[in-house]
Amino acid sequence: MKKFLQYFIVSILLLSLLAACGTKSDSVLDKIKTDGKIVVGTSADYAPYEYIDEAGNKTGFDIELMEEIGKRMGVAIEWQDMPFDSLVAAVANGKLDMSISCFNYDAERDLTVDFSDAYYSTEDAFVVSSAFTGEFNVPEDAAKYKLGVQSGTMQDDWITENLINTGLMSEANLSRYERVDQVALDLLAGRIEIMMADHLPVLEIAKKNPDLKVIYQGELSTGPINIVLPDGDTAIKKEIDKVIKTLQDEGFIDELAKKYFSE
Amino acid sequence: MAFFKLCFCGQKYGLLVLPVIRQELKGENLDFLTLLKYIAEGTAYTLGVTAIALPSGLLIGILLAFLYVYGGKGIARVMNVYSTIMRGVPPLVLLFLLYFVVSKGINLSGFWAGSISLGIVSSAYQMEIIRGALLSVGNDQLMAARAIGMSRKQAVLNIVLPQALRLAIPPWSNEAAIIIKDSSLVYALGVPEILRRAQLIGASTQQPLLAYMSAALIYFVLVTVTNRLLNMLEKKLTVPSNH
Amino acid sequence: MPEPILSIRKLTKRYGDKVIFHDLDLDVNEGDTIVIIGPSGTGKSTLLRCINLLTRSESGQIWFGGKEITAKGTNEDHVRQQIGMVFQNFLLFNHLSALENVKLGLIKVKHLSKAAAEAKAMEELERVGLADWAGHYPGQLSGGQQQRVAIARALAMDPQIMLFDEPTSALDPELIGEVLEVMRSLALEGMTMMVVTHEMGFAREVADRIVFMEKGSIVEEGSPNEMFNRPKFERTREFLWKITELYGKKDHGEE
Repeated sequence: MKKFLQYFIVSILLLSLLAACGTKSDSVLDKIKTDGKIVVGTSADYAPYEYIDEAGNKTGFDIELMEEIGKRMGVAIEWQDMPFDSLVAAVANGKLDMSISCFNYDAERDLTVDFSDAYYSTEDAFVVSSAFTGEFNVPEDAAKYKLGVQSGTMQDDWITENLINTGLMSEANLSRYERVDQVALDLLAGRIEIMMADHLPVLEIAKKNPDLKVIYQGELSTGPINIVLPDGDTAIKKEIDKVIKTLQDEGFIDELAKKYFSE
Repeated sequence: MAFFKLCFCGQKYGLLVLPVIRQELKGENLDFLTLLKYIAEGTAYTLGVTAIALPSGLLIGILLAFLYVYGGKGIARVMNVYSTIMRGVPPLVLLFLLYFVVSKGINLSGFWAGSISLGIVSSAYQMEIIRGALLSVGNDQLMAARAIGMSRKQAVLNIVLPQALRLAIPPWSNEAAIIIKDSSLVYALGVPEILRRAQLIGASTQQPLLAYMSAALIYFVLVTVTNRLLNMLEKKLTVPSNH
Repeated sequence: MPEPILSIRKLTKRYGDKVIFHDLDLDVNEGDTIVIIGPSGTGKSTLLRCINLLTRSESGQIWFGGKEITAKGTNEDHVRQQIGMVFQNFLLFNHLSALENVKLGLIKVKHLSKAAAEAKAMEELERVGLADWAGHYPGQLSGGQQQRVAIARALAMDPQIMLFDEPTSALDPELIGEVLEVMRSLALEGMTMMVVTHEMGFAREVADRIVFMEKGSIVEEGSPNEMFNRPKFERTREFLWKITELYGKKDHGEE
């Protein structure tokens, strides 16, 4: 066992050494201009922001917005789909030029990546199944019931700060999931009693599952949503922010919202 | 139709999936074939990952197995450590290490990071398979070869290895099936293979059971066909005998 | 008198603490058929393996064809090309046919062309009476046939001396005769042979000399006549009498 530990530690150290040998490139904007495309990451399991239609094409509010941004910049978009909680790390490590996936600003994320200006905003929602018989007047009431959330989201952080760290409930009371539709599935199965998520995505899910009820809606953990950009890259941020402002002024974003968010 | 016969002949359990799918389809105006087609498009990626991981695992595995069996005590110990580490770490962990950590210097796409990691993990298992096969052939065959004046290298390559590879086919067939299924791990690195596609379309159509059943069906077909082909290869290579 | 083709001087072999044999001296002349007998575990097989360098002895010397093959720097592969060995368990290459078994050494070691190797291999198979079975695999051959192919395989290399390590001990009784017959012809043709066996009939008829080994040393050696009728040591007489009871009197295939 001791020998194994020695070898394992040595291999990890060697790998880290390799990692440290990476070179930091200049602004990703230069790469985008040279390649004629932006490599954008998203997690296409989040209707109505990013999902795939029945023909298998990527579609959604974020998707169309990004395509338009690309058009205005004169470049193509190369989409990279991956699990939500891998996206930030992927931008931080240069595997993606940027990521749009209904991200909110978060101080912890800010340590390794940067954010564009807000292009829209979201709200939180608490959702229960029709079998729910409990009391729910204020958000903190959620602590009384078995809770579920998508991991790595703002809601995840909010629950941790406001319900777990304050002692209102134990960590064991919270179930974390990789995707929001998985949380909904467990809610319907009765494994959890309440889920907290972005409002619009759960509305989409509720459309196909009349058993789900939104019992609270408001801005708790969320608010403005931004595009995640490489850390310290002022050039690309300037460019992206410029295009976002243009699209907002033109009313393009409002039209897009009407298309995807009409209830 | 002959294709289906190939897959299901003798393995009727696969057909159990079909009634479940039919049940799911009842009452839905969902185009099942479109869903299946979308998921099936991931097969190219799944096969791609497998096509890189499996052969590279084999090449490295054979090399390491030789070193282990014929390289002397010191080298054997190193091989043992390699085997212990690679078989003791979940492949997914290695995948992440390679993708996020190592490829900071050399930029690897999710596909390549995944395929290479799987190949490295597989090489440890394949080394053990080949090593077992080499030992099964036995030292006597080696001795008989040397008795007619062959060098150790000639003896191992011409006498031990051909017999060992035949012995290795059944456990190797098992390893091939494992890699095909483990290829699904690259979903975490964003490769649009079968599992990830099932997840996406399951989420967007709210039909997870149907989506995952379809994925299971496709994997089942891939594994069954592979095993059958390897079975046929084994039969073809079997040395005639009365025993 | 010409030099012996094989000379063993003070040969000692140990496995850890256990001494297999010690200070063995033996000479083999060209054309001799030496039969080595003795109780099991006295190192007879080990001795043969020391002669063709499959095993290394601890001390002592072996001289073959005028050269000391136990010396440092000897090309062992080269030595083994000139010494043929037949094993108790035949040890044919299981994945190859009879013909391929015999051909392989000719192609890989002697570097003959495929055609030349095939011709020579067929010759040797004819010699042991198995030309018709050339395409058969070991799994399709009886024990006696397999052993004869093994003999052909060794002969194909044109060795100067043939070593037989209990060649019939693993055979069914009815199959022993065909192998002994091949060995008999070989001896008559003048091949230098060393045979470890319990087959006393063969020893009496074919051997030029019989060597009796026990407890790691040679007790006695002499012509079959000397050994069977006028042995010097009581132990020799005892052993020969016992083993003749088992193997010698009940001759196989004869009445």
